Amino acid sequence: MNTDLLIQELSSGLAPVKRLASPGRRLGLWLAGSVPVLAAITGFFGLRPDLAQCLADNRFIIQNGAALLTGLAAAWAALASSVPGFKRSRAMVALVPALAWLASAGEGCWAEWQANGWSSLDSVVHQKCLPEIVGSGLVPALLLTLLLRRGLSLNPALTAGLAALAAAATGSAALALFHDGDTAWVTLTWHVGSAAGLSALASAFGSRLLNHPATSRPA
Amino acid sequence: MINDRAKHLEDSARWGAWMQAAQDGDQVAYGRLLAEVAPVARRMAARQLAASGVAEDMEDVVQEILLTLHGARHTYDPARPFLPWFAAIVDHRVKDGLRSRRRHQGRETDIDAVPETFLSQAANTSATDRMDLGKAVAKLPAGQRQAVEMLKIKEMSLAEASAASGQSVPALKVAMHRALKTLKGMLGP
Repeated sequence: MNTDLLIQELSSGLAPVKRLASPGRRLGLWLAGSVPVLAAITGFFGLRPDLAQCLADNRFIIQNGAALLTGLAAAWAALASSVPGFKRSRAMVALVPALAWLASAGEGCWAEWQANGWSSLDSVVHQKCLPEIVGSGLVPALLLTLLLRRGLSLNPALTAGLAALAAAATGSAALALFHDGDTAWVTLTWHVGSAAGLSALASAFGSRLLNHPATSRPA
Repeated sequence: MINDRAKHLEDSARWGAWMQAAQDGDQVAYGRLLAEVAPVARRMAARQLAASGVAEDMEDVVQEILLTLHGARHTYDPARPFLPWFAAIVDHRVKDGLRSRRRHQGRETDIDAVPETFLSQAANTSATDRMDLGKAVAKLPAGQRQAVEMLKIKEMSLAEASAASGQSVPALKVAMHRALKTLKGMLGP
């Protein structure tokens, strides 16, 4: 088939298409679907009894605020990256809150280490939050995948990595509302660590998760 | 230099407007757009391939770019310039082609020896022909193999194959055309 014939084929069979909404609008849709689910999960387990004290603690606010911002920024970057022409540098928007999340958890670990030494690490072994983080982040992750599959990512590894980071960070922020007893070491290993691990895993399988027929070669 | 930039901006604005019309189903605008961007895609891809020192069939590359653009047309935002969106598709398609070429080169070995069984009776029976054809089809690249399997072996219509594979009808036609060309090359005159 020559190119002129292909152009004729493509244009003569042209059907109108529904234009992809902007990343901001799709972020709104994602939140509209995810927030009620996270609220229902929180309602099911019940708010943690010490929530009022936590909300008066700057470290808690900074840590979970940074997790929430990481989730929002990573979700926006993932959605923006599902449009051809996305500049990779814009993915950095998620890096700033992610570093703040990591730094606030690291600072807490340092304070716990100075106070309790090796015994501060005990909580890491006894408290394993990965299933809860995965559970809270599952619906946001599925919703985000559906929204991303409507777009066309030319860099599925980056998009999937950002999407997993968004879901895990949002799940972690929601978890802080109903899951008590998390030390800074638990936050660093199980919350930040899970987000990083899930993000790397999703990145490795990105092209399978977000495969679009238009991105595969015809022959 | 300033004139070049002004022309780029003018082209980008015109193509953006045509793409916006194409998203609403305007076939004439889409035909014009594809006819104008095809040579641009050819130039951009040729530059990238020359920099990599690779010689590809340029028409194949251009057709793959047009098919990708077709599948991605819903992602174009008329509020943004057309050229960066289009350049990203060209870049992706060329790099993907180069990656695929490297993968195939790693698996294939050139054989110079001419098979000695061409003249024997046994080598020319229909059963052997079917076997050879089956082996040749199995060696086709995935997209071409899928087109042959669906359109020729399972005898699906283009519409059915398109629905089953997620590929557009023109993409399947291109794949089938290339599969026949590849099979001809494999099985000899």
